Amino acid sequence: MKTSSGTVPYSPKIYSAESELRHPLRLFKTMWRDLLASREIAWRLMVRDINTRYRQSLLGFGWAILPPVVLAFGFTLAGNAKVINIADTELPYTAYVMFSMILWQTFVDALNGPVQGVANAKTMLSRINFPPEGLLLAKLGENLFNFGIKLVLIVAIFLWYGMPITWKALLAPFALLELIMLGTLIGVFLAPLGALYQDVTHGLTIFTGFWLFLTPVVYPVPDSGLFATIVKTNPVTPLLVTTRELATTGIVSDPYRFFIVSAITIVGLFLTWVVFRLGMPFAIERVSS
Amino acid sequence: MGGVSPWDALCDRARKFLMTSTLPISPTENEPSEWAAEVLISVEQLSKKFCRSLKRSLFYGVSDITTELMGASRHSDRLRKGEFWALKDVDFKIHRGQSLGLVGPNGAGKSTLLRLISGVIKPDTGIVRVNAQVAPLIALGAGFSPVLTGRENVFVNMSILGLSRKRIEERFDEVTDFAGIGDAIDAPVQTYSSGMVARLGFACAVFADADILLIDEVLAVGDLRFRTKCYDRLAKLRENGTSFILVSHNAHSIASICDSAIYLSEGKLVMADKPRLVISRYEQDLLHTEPEQHAVLMSSSEGQIKNADLRITEVYFQDGEGNRIEAPETGKTVTLCAACEAGKELDGIDLIVAISNLSAENQRVLHLHSQYDEQTMRLMPGKSEIQLKMPSFGLLSGWYNAKLVIIQNSIRIFDVVESFRFRVKSDEHAEENLYYQAHTWQTVTLEQEVELNVSR
Repeated sequence: MKTSSGTVPYSPKIYSAESELRHPLRLFKTMWRDLLASREIAWRLMVRDINTRYRQSLLGFGWAILPPVVLAFGFTLAGNAKVINIADTELPYTAYVMFSMILWQTFVDALNGPVQGVANAKTMLSRINFPPEGLLLAKLGENLFNFGIKLVLIVAIFLWYGMPITWKALLAPFALLELIMLGTLIGVFLAPLGALYQDVTHGLTIFTGFWLFLTPVVYPVPDSGLFATIVKTNPVTPLLVTTRELATTGIVSDPYRFFIVSAITIVGLFLTWVVFRLGMPFAIERVSS
Repeated sequence: MGGVSPWDALCDRARKFLMTSTLPISPTENEPSEWAAEVLISVEQLSKKFCRSLKRSLFYGVSDITTELMGASRHSDRLRKGEFWALKDVDFKIHRGQSLGLVGPNGAGKSTLLRLISGVIKPDTGIVRVNAQVAPLIALGAGFSPVLTGRENVFVNMSILGLSRKRIEERFDEVTDFAGIGDAIDAPVQTYSSGMVARLGFACAVFADADILLIDEVLAVGDLRFRTKCYDRLAKLRENGTSFILVSHNAHSIASICDSAIYLSEGKLVMADKPRLVISRYEQDLLHTEPEQHAVLMSSSEGQIKNADLRITEVYFQDGEGNRIEAPETGKTVTLCAACEAGKELDGIDLIVAISNLSAENQRVLHLHSQYDEQTMRLMPGKSEIQLKMPSFGLLSGWYNAKLVIIQNSIRIFDVVESFRFRVKSDEHAEENLYYQAHTWQTVTLEQEVELNVSR
């Protein structure tokens, strides 16, 4: 008898009721294998999603740039009219809001990405077995792409306002990466739950809207009081502020908190990946096929 | 209704074609030594439970995730409130090159089984071992984005099915040729007809280099020409040793494509054997009948048309010798008898016999009308019997339903027997045919010709 056409390498798979946590080594191996295997899928899905989004829109890339511009404009208006009272920022206020808003938006996109990616692919997941990591990577790639577009706006701000820049700006991408990782961490953790309950998607919109006001995006980091404590405990604060500081003044105000949150983020991202991995099959089986 | 449609006829032909190109063995559990090294899929004590209430189901989902994360046992072998077994303690093996048919009523757990094998969902008890590349023909065109072109979608779809970019590029031309999309491949998929989308999806799946194809009743895709192509392609895959797991409600496609079959009902494995045996058991259960009862059953039109002038009192079969039989046999002389009772002398009486195949989605296979045969009858008062004699009975084994209508001058319906169910018996070899052909064999020695040849 002839052998099959199978030139595709495969490894034997075993599916059982046992928790995969019982064999952590095997679990980590398959996680790594699937992560590698999902690169092609991730690339294809990313290209698909970016194309789908921009092909159906007149304004196209403009949508990536518009929100921070509109917000900055609004706050500048309000600030100038003394409707709101904002302490002095180290940068021109409009530039400050615009730049911070881009960073915040990147964080929120990273957070929403996994939840949306999984929710959109629910039907596909319930029918075809493919590494779900592909969905996460695709969203991550899409967000990086969007950030790339926003980078144009950032450069424009720097030139227009003649913002200070030091060699430390070269470190800013690493801090930004931490920020994206923090968002991804939360998103990946919520993704299986989001496949089950729509509440997650609805809740996230409200929650991130509220969270924005606890983060120094439209105001500088406050010095004292209860609000200052809340803002400083907010894990986004050190990451976002450090990214902004590295990119502009080069003076990092709170490196200590930055490193603590970064370390937690890196470890946490791995742990939530395990959670995602173990949780997804149970979420998928509750989704109709 | 009506006769056999050309589509279905073609389909059947294609199935037969598949069958002729299969391997001439049908491995069973009795011959494990020969096949032991080549087990592609092994399923042991496999169970899966589901919950009908959505709210509760979602809650169980969350609680399962939590337990899983603690690494604790889910006690998944026990049912919680509102749960039921969609699949319970199923065992079987599939060897390389072997094809398995899944039969069973809706909700028997066939699709659940396919999803477990493809690894989409996790078992609740038991183990699935898969030692092969599996491609599902369950979700054709999964991940297609309507805005993107066909070309872009092929790349997305095939990468989800696990192919590398290089492999997709190699296969791309074959896929588009097969799908018959032509220049439209660079147009957005939303401009395609639904048939084109289905064809493209099917093409992606069958060119995905799998060892096992999971086919869940999707063979009815596209137009006539495309279907023929599909069967050709599947036949070729079979020759190359690709296995199939085929779910179908059409018993005949299972019988012709698969080497073995399993019958699932309410999640349990009722029977696993050769397709023919499994199907006959399935059909028996499906019709809720004891095979003995129906051959002589009289089911008169109750409350429909009660006419004292003429009614059918009994319907049954006779063999060639005039003996009452329960199940007519293919190829033998069979007489269908309709016993009647007339209140007065009646002229211009015709009998219509319409037989449909219960094993093949109730397709009409025979329509006999005495008027068409210019055999209009006269009945005397009292009891009489209309006999329809069929030398070399042509129906193949399976369950059939006959509808009888007795009518006068093509207008006045006296009586209707809606449902006279019967089973036809055939010997084993008849299974491989689409219809019964009466035939004899003989040898004729052409002596002169031989001599001439020799003399030359």
